[in-house]
Amino acid sequence: MKVAAVFALGLIATVVPAIAHHSFAAEYDIKKQVTLTGTVTKVEWLNPHMRIYVDVKDTSGAVNNWECELGSPNGLMRMGWTRHTLKPGDTVVVEGAAAKDGSNLANVKTVKLPDGRRLFAGSASETGDSKAGEK
Amino acid sequence: MDRATSTFIVLLSTCVSLSAQWLSYPTVGIPRLPDGKPNLSAPAPKTRDGKPDFSGTWVFDESKKDQYHGQNIDKVVKGGLPYKPGVGEMMRARGSKENEVSNPLSHCLPKSMLLLDSSPLASGDSSGVYKLVQTPGLLIMLFEYNITWRQIHTDGRPFPTDPEPAWYGYSTGKWEGNTLVAETTGFKDGVWLDVNGNGISDAAKITERFRRPDFGHMQIDFTVDDPKSYTKPWTVTISEILIPDTDVMEAVCLENERDSKHFVCDDPAAPGCSAQTPAGAK
Repeated sequence: MKVAAVFALGLIATVVPAIAHHSFAAEYDIKKQVTLTGTVTKVEWLNPHMRIYVDVKDTSGAVNNWECELGSPNGLMRMGWTRHTLKPGDTVVVEGAAAKDGSNLANVKTVKLPDGRRLFAGSASETGDSKAGEK
Repeated sequence: MDRATSTFIVLLSTCVSLSAQWLSYPTVGIPRLPDGKPNLSAPAPKTRDGKPDFSGTWVFDESKKDQYHGQNIDKVVKGGLPYKPGVGEMMRARGSKENEVSNPLSHCLPKSMLLLDSSPLASGDSSGVYKLVQTPGLLIMLFEYNITWRQIHTDGRPFPTDPEPAWYGYSTGKWEGNTLVAETTGFKDGVWLDVNGNGISDAAKITERFRRPDFGHMQIDFTVDDPKSYTKPWTVTISEILIPDTDVMEAVCLENERDSKHFVCDDPAAPGCSAQTPAGAK
């Protein structure tokens, strides 16, 4: 299991059409790119989106907890993720797009794991527009 | 084959210890290449009475271009959708991102027949995997998204009269040579087909023509004939690829739906915008 999981995760970096159950553009701003470095406080391996909550220190030293939305568990599993891939206490670097409403919420494009591997998060962040074809 | 699917197939074929999980469990009795991988180019299987057998675990084939792949149908159909007067405006208004709260899918309501067949392997809200089980009088489709099923009856029954309106209607199928022609009526009024607001009325009849040219591939021509919404029928084509050695897994959308409260309008004057938060409100 561990060997295969490493094998599969190493092949990640695919770009998939960004069709989700809702519009990326109604919720996130592709121009508000964020890079969040911090400690995972909670993992929700649930539908419709896996979520991780990350304590992130800002420039003033204050800690904010960010809600980070990834792809669906089923989609992630078929890309080599499991519900054990991330756990509270892990240090991660999350790249993605921030929410339009100003809350500490981001749609994740990639996650850098504690062991240095950078995984694609299987979410709608790839093209930034899940109403594909609208433009 | 696209990279997501090929990544997944490599995962399946290289891991023995994962066979303890059904995510990667060998399918019995399928044609295989000398290296053990499924032979997707083998002839399509047939049932005992010589009909094509569509059974298998399938997913949308992202490698095929020039097909419908989940986007705005109005941009795919040649010349645009043939809306009746006023219908296009209504569908565009309800389907704009300024009005995302009106998108049934954003509240985890049923995904359309069209989107169930055209969701990618690793899509944002579930995987698009489904299992098709063909029996002599009935085809059953089992979808991961919301643990949804569809039935296509091939026992010669007529459509129900005055049916209870349904999200997926009532489907009957018959054979035309090697093509299974399934017709569906009895829809609820206003069902969306894509995420951009394009949909059908309760007068719609949808025809799906299923073909399986070889073991690993299936094609569905999806035709909508809805005299209340469109001036003439229109068709989109979807291609599916077989993914043996796996199984369908549950995906219950509503178990942790947290997005709808964050939808925002960029344009406060847009129709439906009052139901969403103005940008930057928090």
